[in-house]
Amino acid sequence: MNRRISRTVKYAVLVMALLATLAPVYWMTTISFKREVDQFALPPKWFVFPPTLEHYADAFVNRSFGQYLFNSLFIAVASTICALVIGTLAAYALARFRLPWNLDRKLALWILSTRMFPAIVTAVPLFLIMRALWLVNTRLSLIIVYTSLNLPFVVWMMRGFFAEVPRDLEEAAMVDGDSRMGALWRVVLPLVAPGLAATAVFCLIVSWNEFLFALVLTQTDDAMTLPVGIAGRVTQYGIKWGAMSAAAVVAMIPILVFALSVQRYLVRGLSLGAVKG
Amino acid sequence: MARLGSERLQGHVTPDRLLAYLLIAPTIAVLLALTIYPLIYSIKVSFQSNSGTATLQNFTRLLTDQFFLSALSHTFVYAAIALTVEFLLGLGLALLLDSQIRARNVWRTLLLVPMMLPPVVVGVVWRLMLNSNFGAVNGTLKSFGVNTDALTWTASPKLAMASVIIADVWQWTPFMFLILLAGLQAIPREPYEAALTDGSSAWQTFQHVTLPLLKPAILIALLLRTMDLLRVFDHIFILTEGGPGLATETLGLYIYRTAFRFSNFGYAAAMSFVLLIITNIISAGYIRLLQTRET
Repeated sequence: MNRRISRTVKYAVLVMALLATLAPVYWMTTISFKREVDQFALPPKWFVFPPTLEHYADAFVNRSFGQYLFNSLFIAVASTICALVIGTLAAYALARFRLPWNLDRKLALWILSTRMFPAIVTAVPLFLIMRALWLVNTRLSLIIVYTSLNLPFVVWMMRGFFAEVPRDLEEAAMVDGDSRMGALWRVVLPLVAPGLAATAVFCLIVSWNEFLFALVLTQTDDAMTLPVGIAGRVTQYGIKWGAMSAAAVVAMIPILVFALSVQRYLVRGLSLGAVKG
Repeated sequence: MARLGSERLQGHVTPDRLLAYLLIAPTIAVLLALTIYPLIYSIKVSFQSNSGTATLQNFTRLLTDQFFLSALSHTFVYAAIALTVEFLLGLGLALLLDSQIRARNVWRTLLLVPMMLPPVVVGVVWRLMLNSNFGAVNGTLKSFGVNTDALTWTASPKLAMASVIIADVWQWTPFMFLILLAGLQAIPREPYEAALTDGSSAWQTFQHVTLPLLKPAILIALLLRTMDLLRVFDHIFILTEGGPGLATETLGLYIYRTAFRFSNFGYAAAMSFVLLIITNIISAGYIRLLQTRET
């Protein structure tokens, strides 16, 4: 009897937690499909309302959200590729070579420590530097910044994945006449491909979600990303709730799909290997 | 063919080591250019007035600036409350999911959703939820007969802080829960079996077995969250823009306003150093606790 009660309580708590988690997201999604008259209805219409796509058309056709979406995608993909290429090389070296004076360990920790700066600390000088280089309001400025944001992360994630590959495999390839880089390319990289993919997804998520640098470095439609575009609509008077929710839903969907695909590596990624998940 | 770094000849350059330096160099170069150089540049700017003359004013002004001091206290209040609530809820959920649960992975996945969302989207979600005209929170309360006239959330100075904390707790409790759950699942079974044979109560087992073994995971989760909470910016910017008045202006928002609304880069740089130093002191404390976990 007691057992049954405690089990019922357990599931009841879980269901409540789940409602609190998902209801707000669901609510925003319904707003994006509601006619304005239904958005303001009281009591709130949770389930039954005539759906409309007008807000999606409004946001992505009449307003510049199509451009922001393209900018977001372009910047996220480009900065992810840059960070992966540069960071994977360093990660391989740090996983495989012992350097004098413990340099390998010290460098790895130093690389990690750069991730610890609050963004606002570097946002102010980076804005001034980018302004001096005439790079403000360009996609390039954000690609550069996001590459540096993602690098420490790539180095630590990939270093862990490389460490899990037995060394004999490379040594065998090198005995067969491969150079070290040839062995890395032909033998090791295929083995860490899942890890590489997970790391790439993490970088995409970070770049896609980033707000502060994008806000500071892009003020025109040319380079503005989706989060900044959404924020710009929110903080004005006479908010178009529907268009804003539609844009937010579009910003949310790819991230959810991506994030769920790397669940296995989530803990390792978030704690940079500090907690084995 | 070189043996893989088995010999540690101090400073001796072998072809392998040369290759290692070459492979690491681009990463170091990017990080120097984009984090260390801006930091040094920032130090320079913070000792300059707006016209570029050398001055200590940016640092002396901090001590008497009402706005700075209130932003500092808002930051600490926000961080302390959010951290406490997120930790307790996260630990509770982690313990729940660590017990006998059907379809554990489905629950886990669904509970993680808020953490994945762009912070800006979280801001939008809660603006819609807490809107006093058509928000689902007040709408739902009303249908239960609660008088919601006083619940203006983001429009009232008192409730605005609660609003931004609610949004933070909603988004980041899953993070705590995830790290703590991973920590719980890494604990071996033996100590629990020993506690069972000793006839310990559930609470005693939790106190003497679970908590000590979970300590590293707890500290890492708290460290990562604290660092993020101190620099909070995104969803406060969307939800309240630091308002109403200055009720929810944290350090991050005040620094932003100083630099990009008033173009006072020197003062903003000086304040961002204070934020960096505070973050470092607190992180160092956590890391010391982590290192003494063998006690």
